[in-house]
Amino acid sequence: MSKENYDFPDKDGRFGEFGGKYVSETLISALDELECTYEEVKKDKSFLAEVKNDLETFVGRPSPLYFAQRWTENLGGAKIYLKREDLNHTGAHKINNTVGQVLLAKKMGKKRIIAETGAGQHGVATAAVAARHGLECIIFMGDEDIERQSPNVYRMKLLGATVCSVNSGTKTLKDAMNEAMRDWVTNVDDTHYIIGSVAGPHPYPQIVRDFNSIVGIELKDQSRGLFGRYPDKIIACVGGGSNAMGIFYPFLKDNSVDLIGVEAGGSGVDSGMHAAPLSDGSIGVLHGMKTYLMQDQEGQILSTHSVSAGLDYPGVGPEHSYLRDSGRVVYEAATDEEALDSFHDLTKTEGIMPALETAHALAYAKKIAPDLDKEEILVVNLSGRGDKDMANVAKVEGLTL
Amino acid sequence: MSNIEKVFKNLKKDNKKALITYSVAGDPDLESSEKIIRNFILEGVDIIEVGVPFSDPMAEGPSIQLGHERALKNKISLLDIMQMCLKIKNDHPNTPLVLMGYMNNFLSLKENLFDELKKNKIDGLIIVDLPYVESNEFLKKLNDKDIDLIRLISPTTTKERIDKILASSSGYLYYISLKGVTGSELKISDELENRVLEIKKQTKLPIVVGFGIKDAKTAKKMSLCSDGVVVGSKLVDEIGSFNPNKENILNQNLTSIISELKEGIS
Repeated sequence: MSKENYDFPDKDGRFGEFGGKYVSETLISALDELECTYEEVKKDKSFLAEVKNDLETFVGRPSPLYFAQRWTENLGGAKIYLKREDLNHTGAHKINNTVGQVLLAKKMGKKRIIAETGAGQHGVATAAVAARHGLECIIFMGDEDIERQSPNVYRMKLLGATVCSVNSGTKTLKDAMNEAMRDWVTNVDDTHYIIGSVAGPHPYPQIVRDFNSIVGIELKDQSRGLFGRYPDKIIACVGGGSNAMGIFYPFLKDNSVDLIGVEAGGSGVDSGMHAAPLSDGSIGVLHGMKTYLMQDQEGQILSTHSVSAGLDYPGVGPEHSYLRDSGRVVYEAATDEEALDSFHDLTKTEGIMPALETAHALAYAKKIAPDLDKEEILVVNLSGRGDKDMANVAKVEGLTL
Repeated sequence: MSNIEKVFKNLKKDNKKALITYSVAGDPDLESSEKIIRNFILEGVDIIEVGVPFSDPMAEGPSIQLGHERALKNKISLLDIMQMCLKIKNDHPNTPLVLMGYMNNFLSLKENLFDELKKNKIDGLIIVDLPYVESNEFLKKLNDKDIDLIRLISPTTTKERIDKILASSSGYLYYISLKGVTGSELKISDELENRVLEIKKQTKLPIVVGFGIKDAKTAKKMSLCSDGVVVGSKLVDEIGSFNPNKENILNQNLTSIISELKEGIS
């Protein structure tokens, strides 16, 4: 591809053949309204200033770029830096998007906010902005995820949100998204659906990417200041792919920077028990977008497996599908075991407990860092904090708290 | 003239409205769903919408979601469904059979889809998550095989959009009666009736109304302003109570629902 001319999505909301708007007719007008409003506010200085102010004073941006010195020394290779999205208010990158989208919702005069959540981070980030703006908030969450992410469920409730448990299908993130879509179609007049990933129908993949790209924009400034150049490699975990898209997007045209997305390898990509559609999936249509999916020969969506609820999703944002096929971003997978190992590593050597999602990116960094030159700079997007995962990690390792 | 056109032409001649059923192929199992459809045809249903079960039926309410789940347990394929349709068509060549489902299942057959549809005498397709802007290429291939792509219009579809949808439609138009999922509670209003009448003025295609039509009274009301009504959730709910030892009871119950609705709209 011609990286200089990278200008996606196109007017039909496509990234090459991926993306689009595959939704039922009732939702088209809401998507069109969202698209128009977004195009307007993108150029509106006062709107952008409001987002900036919220990012600084409510979220706590910019997030630091931290040198993981002990971990780097232990691994004995490339210097590992962490982009500390875990330090954001509510503990993950997800708030970058919800801060922006809630302002969009207000601009459109919507009084009610809905969202889906897997790990609960997006649900918490949505509940927090809804509380702040005094909007009604309903979060859809799969039964299985409610079980493994219970602290976040309580956080959402404390923030005044209603958490609706979803027990259809696989009872995880994809089913929560189905249910959110059903709610939206029913309450489309007064409701804005804050999708939490760079997934779903156009314009969501674009909006969520743009609001999260503050991460990559800051990293550019920080690395110029700290190293006088850009990093050699940037690594981020990919479920739907919002934290990865946020940190990658500003670097897409900088060909000297290797971009690596890490999917959830579950019990191993060969085992079939994983959530890695870019590594082992095929092209299809789900949740309004054409993208790589985990599906069977009949086009039925397969149930996925990952120790991390936030990556347990059978699809991936359409821009990632495009970037995979174009070769600009390389996608790898880390297994549950590798992720758990890195979860402990970082906690013990750096005093930072990462989210299990993030631990997949760390696992890949751990794998490649020892063989890289000591002068190489490797940045991992530390997309979220791991407190929410403590009970789940304990359970996986046979402990009771 | 296509089968679908003929059906509406004949109904018009007799000053009647179409009764269209929706049931899920493979629910409760493929053989029983075939029997159910054959029974519908014998009871005088004009057009049959055959639901293609999907793992993630986003537009469906609880009743039809359960129908999809029951059908998927039987691991039936789209080809199995089309072959079932062909068997029915061989006995009832004039009754249009329309497959209704989600894009991903239709995509799974890739380019073979169009030949298979033709070979198995499918009259039309309704693809819930394929709005017209995404459908150009698909539409062309269907039209090459004389298969109708039936379009949906909803309460939120704008006037400009309706014009564009009408320009590329064939068969009939499916007006979604409400903002919501299938089987939601339908509140009939003047606004709804006027909107259907308004769209009717813009097109020569027949327009049918679906979503939330569960009883004779609603069916009657909606058929007055349109060319027919679709009933789905009510039937799928009934099919959900299927007991293999009491197959006759299911058929009796379905028959009584159909005759009640038919009476309503005639």
